[in-house]
Amino acid sequence: MHWQGVRMTLLLRRAFFYLVTAFAALSLNFLLPRMIPGDPVSRMLQRFQGKLDPQAVFALRALYGQTDEGLWGQYVDYWRRLLHGDFGVSFTNYPTKVTTIIGQGLPWTLGLIGACTILSFLIGTLLGTVAGWKRGGWVDSLIPVSTFLTSVPYFWFGLIAVYLFAIELRWFPLAGGYTPGVEEGLNFPFIDNVLEHAMLPALTIVVSSVGYWLLSMRNMMITTLAEDYVLLAKAKGLSRRRVMNSYAGRNAVLPSLAGFALSMGFIVGGSIITEVVFNYPGIGYTLFQAIGGQDYPLMQGIFFIITIAVLGANLIADLVYVLLDPRTRRAA
Amino acid sequence: MTTGTLEHDAARQPTEAAADQVRAARFGALRGLRSVKVMVGLVIVLAFTLVAIFGPILVSTDPSAVSNDVLQGPSAHHLLGTSHNGQDIFSEMVYGTRVSMVVGFVAAILATVLSLVVGLTAGYLGGVSDEVLSLITNIFLVIPGLPLVVILTGTMPNAGELAIVIVIAVTAWAWGARVLRAQTLSLRKRDFVEAARASGESTFRIIFREILPNETAIVAATFLSTVIGAILTQASLAFLGLTSVTEWSWGVILYWAQAQNALSYGAWWWFVPPGLSIALIGTGLSLMNFGIDEFINPRLRSAGIATKRARKRARADRASRARGPVPPVVPAPSAARAVSAPAVSAPAVSVPAAADAGGSAAGRDDIVLEIKDLRVDYVTANTTVRAVDGVSLALRRGTVLGIAGESGSGKSTLAYAITRLHESAAEIPTGQILYTAADGTRTDILRMSERELTDFRWEELSIVFQSAMNALNPILKVGAQIEDALAAHRPSMTERQRRGRVAELLTMVGISTDRATAYPHELSGGMRQRVMIAIALALNPEIIVMDEPTTALDVVIQRQIIDQIMELKDRLGFSVIFITHDLSMLIELADEIAIMYAGRIVEQASARDFYRAPSHPYSRGLIGSFPTLSGPKRALTGIVGSPPDLHALPAGCSFNPRCPAVTEDCRVREPVLLPLRSTDGHERARVACLLYEKTEPVAAAGADRS
Repeated sequence: MHWQGVRMTLLLRRAFFYLVTAFAALSLNFLLPRMIPGDPVSRMLQRFQGKLDPQAVFALRALYGQTDEGLWGQYVDYWRRLLHGDFGVSFTNYPTKVTTIIGQGLPWTLGLIGACTILSFLIGTLLGTVAGWKRGGWVDSLIPVSTFLTSVPYFWFGLIAVYLFAIELRWFPLAGGYTPGVEEGLNFPFIDNVLEHAMLPALTIVVSSVGYWLLSMRNMMITTLAEDYVLLAKAKGLSRRRVMNSYAGRNAVLPSLAGFALSMGFIVGGSIITEVVFNYPGIGYTLFQAIGGQDYPLMQGIFFIITIAVLGANLIADLVYVLLDPRTRRAA
Repeated sequence: MTTGTLEHDAARQPTEAAADQVRAARFGALRGLRSVKVMVGLVIVLAFTLVAIFGPILVSTDPSAVSNDVLQGPSAHHLLGTSHNGQDIFSEMVYGTRVSMVVGFVAAILATVLSLVVGLTAGYLGGVSDEVLSLITNIFLVIPGLPLVVILTGTMPNAGELAIVIVIAVTAWAWGARVLRAQTLSLRKRDFVEAARASGESTFRIIFREILPNETAIVAATFLSTVIGAILTQASLAFLGLTSVTEWSWGVILYWAQAQNALSYGAWWWFVPPGLSIALIGTGLSLMNFGIDEFINPRLRSAGIATKRARKRARADRASRARGPVPPVVPAPSAARAVSAPAVSAPAVSVPAAADAGGSAAGRDDIVLEIKDLRVDYVTANTTVRAVDGVSLALRRGTVLGIAGESGSGKSTLAYAITRLHESAAEIPTGQILYTAADGTRTDILRMSERELTDFRWEELSIVFQSAMNALNPILKVGAQIEDALAAHRPSMTERQRRGRVAELLTMVGISTDRATAYPHELSGGMRQRVMIAIALALNPEIIVMDEPTTALDVVIQRQIIDQIMELKDRLGFSVIFITHDLSMLIELADEIAIMYAGRIVEQASARDFYRAPSHPYSRGLIGSFPTLSGPKRALTGIVGSPPDLHALPAGCSFNPRCPAVTEDCRVREPVLLPLRSTDGHERARVACLLYEKTEPVAAAGADRS
C-alpha cells in the first residue's frame, strides 16, 4: 500500500517540524531568565533569607547563569535536566518540586481549557455550516453579536459573568475548581462539585470564542458552495443533508481545521487568563502566581508544559486533517 | 493540421461564468467598500482615534487626582463615576484610550512591517531562504503566544509601554507573514511580474512596485486584526498587573477595578467602560475587515443581499404560479417551427401528448426538448443584463444539437438555464422548456416544483460540466460520486446492485473498474472527464447537456472523449446538447447547429448545410477563426473586435460594430430569425441578418422575437 507510506512521510515531516519547534521554544525558555536585567539572584536570596539550603542556592544560581560554567555548558546541563524531567524546586512553594505543582494544575487546565476549546470549535463549525448553507438565515443574524463577543476580552467577559451569575443571581459558585473541604476523589459528589464550578468558566470561554469559528466556517462554506462539485451534487438530486455534509461541509472544514491547529497556541494562551478570573486551580493561575512571586523555575516548567501540550494538540489536528483530506498524501 | 492553435485558443478562452464573475466583482467591490458594515466600523474606529488624539487635551481633570468622592456612581460631575480613592473614571478612560490605542497601533505597525519583510522575502526569493523563514514563521505561530508574552513581561518588572509594544510585535507578526508569503508566491508567477523580471527591473523595484500594491488589501486586513490582537494583549497584560500600573490604559483601569473588588461593591461604572471600549474598537476593526474580506473574496459579497432577494422572489414566483391562471402550454406540435400554433391551455405539470402529433413519429420530428422564447437576466442591485434573449430551439431524439459562440454569447447561461442550475442572480422572466418523455408525456421544466425538478434531473436530463477537476468532489472516491446519484434516485437498489452499476458505467466510458476507489486527484484529466460522463449516464437519461466538456483537455484526449461520447450516444440512444466555442468540432459531431451572439441565436442550420455555406457574417467569421480537424487547409481569418459588452449593446444588430458586411440599416434595425431557402425551396438555415431580409422579405414565421 504505497499511499500509506506517503502519508507516513508527511506525518514524519510534521513530527520533525514539531521537534524543531519544541527545540526552539525550549531554548528560548533557557535564555529568558538570563536576560533579566540586574541581579535577580541576590534579590531572591534576600527574600528567602536562610530558608534555602546550599543545593537550592546552587540551583538558583545555575538557573540565572551565575555559575563558572560557560553558556554552552549551562545549555547542555539545562537539556540534561529537562530530559530527566527535573525542573527544579519552586521558590514560592519551597521546597515543593515544580513537577508536583504542574502535576496538580494540569488536569484542571486540560479539563477546562482543552474541553472548551474543542467544544467551541465543534459548535462554531456546526453553526457556521448552517449559516453558510442558509445565507441570510437566522444563524447569520448571530454574526454581529458573535463578532462583538469575540472582540470582548476573555477576562472581562468572565468577570462580568461572575458578577451577574455568581454574585447577583447566585446560579454558580464564585470561584475555584471545587469547594474546599469536599473530599477529593472519583466519587459522584466531588465530580458534581467540580462540574458545578467548571460550568461558568466553560460558558464564558465557549461563548466568547465560538464566534470566531462560526465566522470562518461560514465564509469557507459560502466559498465552497459556489464550487462546481456542489452544484453537480445538487443536480444529481442528492439529499440536502448529503450535499451539505459530504460535499460542502467536509471540504469547507479543512481550512478551518488547519486554522484550528495554528491558533491553538493563541486560544490556549488567552483562555489561561480565565483561570485567573475564576481562581481556577489550573496551570494558568499557577503561572500568574509564579510571575507574582518571580518563581522562575515554575515559570520555565509551565511554559514547557504549555508548549508541549499545544504542539501535541497540533499534531492531533494534523492527523485528523490527513484522515479527512485524501490529497494530503500528494503534498508529501 | 495546425492543432496547436486550437489547443492554445481552448486554453485561453475564459469561461463565460468566469467572465460574469469578474464583471460582478468589479461592480460589487465598490459597493462592498461603501457597505453599512464598513461605514459603521470606520465611524467607531475614527471616534476612538479622535478621543485618543484630542481627549487628553480637552479633559482637564487629572486621572490620578485623588478626591473624597469615593465610589460614586455616574453623575454630572463625574460622568463615569469615581474609583475607590475618588479618581474620576471618565478622565481615566480618556487618558487610557490614548495609551491603549497607541500601544495597539504601534505594535501592529511594527508587527506588520516584520511580517511584510519576512513574507515578501520568503515568497519572492523562494529556495533555502523560504524554507528557513517559513520554519521560523511556523515556529512563532505554534508557540503559545500569550504565556510567552506574560513571561517576557514578567522578566522585565515594571516594563514601560515601549517594551510591551516590542514584546507584542515580536509575538504577533507570524500570521501575517504566512499569509503574505502565500500571496507573494502566487503573484510571483503572474505574467506582469514575469514581464518585469524579464525586462530587467531590480528585485527591490519588482517587490515594491509590482507585488506590494497587489497585496494592499491583505496587508490592510492583517494590520487591522493585529491591532485588535495587540489591544487585547496589552489589556490582558495590564489586567494581570504586568505593566506599569500607574500609566492609565484600559487594562490598568480594569486592573485597579479588579484589585479593589469593584464588582463586589456593585461599581459597574468602573468596570464596564474599559471592557466595552475594547470590545467596541475590536468590533469596529472587525467590521472594516469584513469589507476587506468581501473585497478579496467576491463570493462572500453576493452572499447576503442577492440571495435573500432571490429567495424572496422565488417564493413570490411560486406563490403566484400556484394561484394565478395557468399559462398555456403548447401541446407537442408536429412542426416545432410553426410558432403560430394556437395556444391551448393545459395543466402546468404534465400533459399527455396529442395522440400522434409527434410522439409516434421517430426521426425528424421526434422532439425530445423544445425551448421557446427563453430569456435569462442577470439581476444586480441596479442593473439587469439579458444574457439569453428570446432563444427558441428544438432537440430531436437521439441527435446532437450544437450551440456555439464566443465567451459572453450566453451559451453557458443557456445550458445552465435548461437544467435550471443557473445562479441565484439569474432570473428567467419568460420562456418554456418543454420536455417530452419517451412515453409522450410533456412537461415544462421551468414550471416544475423543486421536488419534481430533483426527481427529473439526472433521471431524464443530466449535465457534464466544463472542468471535471472542479466538478468532482476532491475528498470522495469517484465510485462513491457515481453511486450517490443512484442511491438518491433508486432507493430500492441494494448496495451490491449499485456497485455493479458503477462498475458497468466505468467500463462503458473506458475506465477499469478498480479505479472506482480512486480519488479525483489520482486520475488524469481525460479520466476525470470520463468519470463525469459516467456520472451523467448513471440513470440512463434521455438528454445530456455538455458544457464544453473537452475544453480543458489536450487535442488527442479531446478526440478520444468525443469518439467515446458519440459511440455511447449511438448505443444508448440519448440526445445531446453540446456547447462549445470550437465550431470545427461541432460541425463534425452535431446534427444541428445554432450560433449564438450577444444572447441571441443568429443562425441555425443542419450541420451539413452549415458547413457547406454558413450564412451569417458572424458564423463565417467563427468558421474562419478555427482550423478544421480534418479537411483542406485554409487561411485563418478571425473576427475583428472583442465580444460584446452585454451592459451596452449597440443599437440595431448587436454584431454591427464587428461585421464586415455592415450597412447603415444594420445600425438602426434589429434583424429577426427568418428561414432562408435555397433555390429548390429547401430551408437550408434560419438566419437573423438584414442581408437576407432584403432579398427574401418576411414571409414565414417570424414570431421568434415577439
